[in-house]
Amino acid sequence: MGAVAASLVALLLGLLSVTQFRSQDVYSRSLQQETPSSLATLIASLSDRNNSLRDEIFDLRLRVQAAEESVASGRGSLTESQRQLSQLRVLTAESPVRGPGIALSIDGAFDDRALADLVNELRNAGAEAIAVDGARIGPRSWFASGPGGSVVVDGGVLPGPWVVRAIGAQEVLYVAITRTGGIVGQFALIYPRTRFATTKELALELPPRAAR
Amino acid sequence: MTGSKPGSGARASRTAVLLVPALLFGFLSTVLWRTQLERTDLTAGYNAPLTDSARQLQDEQSSLKSQLADLRARLDGIQASAAAQSGTSNQLQQQIDGLKARAGLTAMTGEGVVVELDDARTGVPTVKEPDKSVCHATDVIDIVNTAWRAAAQAVAVNGERLVARSSAYCIGATVIVNGTLKSPPFNIIAIGPQNDLAGAFADPAQLRDIKQRREDGSLAFRVTRATALTAPAYDGASSVRFASPQ
Repeated sequence: MGAVAASLVALLLGLLSVTQFRSQDVYSRSLQQETPSSLATLIASLSDRNNSLRDEIFDLRLRVQAAEESVASGRGSLTESQRQLSQLRVLTAESPVRGPGIALSIDGAFDDRALADLVNELRNAGAEAIAVDGARIGPRSWFASGPGGSVVVDGGVLPGPWVVRAIGAQEVLYVAITRTGGIVGQFALIYPRTRFATTKELALELPPRAAR
Repeated sequence: MTGSKPGSGARASRTAVLLVPALLFGFLSTVLWRTQLERTDLTAGYNAPLTDSARQLQDEQSSLKSQLADLRARLDGIQASAAAQSGTSNQLQQQIDGLKARAGLTAMTGEGVVVELDDARTGVPTVKEPDKSVCHATDVIDIVNTAWRAAAQAVAVNGERLVARSSAYCIGATVIVNGTLKSPPFNIIAIGPQNDLAGAFADPAQLRDIKQRREDGSLAFRVTRATALTAPAYDGASSVRFASPQ
């Protein structure tokens, strides 16, 4: 009888441990596991992205129509080609650019991973052109730590203090990085002695990317 | 034989001592299990309209990207035929093709490496820092940065080509790359000089945090060489509205 009871205890203890293990199985990453707040943010993000795609589709339809008409009338597609060339030089960071945006000055300790996160955040907010000091960020730009607290961008050492400039929708960029809990707020917690100052700029001028 | 009664009573009380906690454990474990099930059902119930909306928007995005790709192909066709008829257009077209390739707007094939990154799916996660047992957008950014540093020519994360407009970020536990919902495992392909790429990922000074988490068993991270990789063309929005070329 004692042996049966002991077995029963062991069995139930086993059941308990299995149940507790189940409670720690938090690795399903499907949407069902998200909080309503995260899902609302996800929906807003997807909606914004889809609106950008719709705008581009609308614009491209007009360009296709104009190019078709131009070719049909014997004028070729020179206008469209020049337009594409000009846009592609911005995307590849091969031309100097001018436009509205924001400038973030960073004075104090900082590092390459934080800089990569900042560039990622600016791109997410729709920045069309970004430069760190005089180094224009291209599609394949990379960041590393340099000597004496400096950062390296595409092989060039930037000793700091740094100014990160980004051209795009000024208000969107500004709010994206300065909002409560945003990336600048997080930096201020991580680097409490570093001074971060963000300004809206009407006309930034960024150099082309150095040849690689 | 009166002596047998006290012995039998002692055995009964010993059994009771074992049975009572066993029943208590059983009862508590069942309550815990049922409560969790109810809570999960309840959360899923509340979230259902939101998850449905997110999925619908993701499907809509796929359809919009497909429309965009069709329009781009149509414009390319018009330009190609115009270029064939004019020397100036032909020269411009060659410049455009080169720029498109450098911007990541055309697919690229070549040798390189495949980096696999995944959550720890076996064993109990580190209770102290459960955050380290899942892969985050920052891990993806670090891996991509390592690839660019090793002279990669093209990088794609789960089929999303990374370009000057690309970003990767987390909302809750979901990772979003180029505005598209992604979940682990991540397959990051980097096309470029294979030895340089493999060497950079093998370098102990690179990706220390990710490698430490792999050693702790809290993250899966593996790099393999591959000879015929294809990075698809970027299919997101790329129009320039604010930056004027000088």
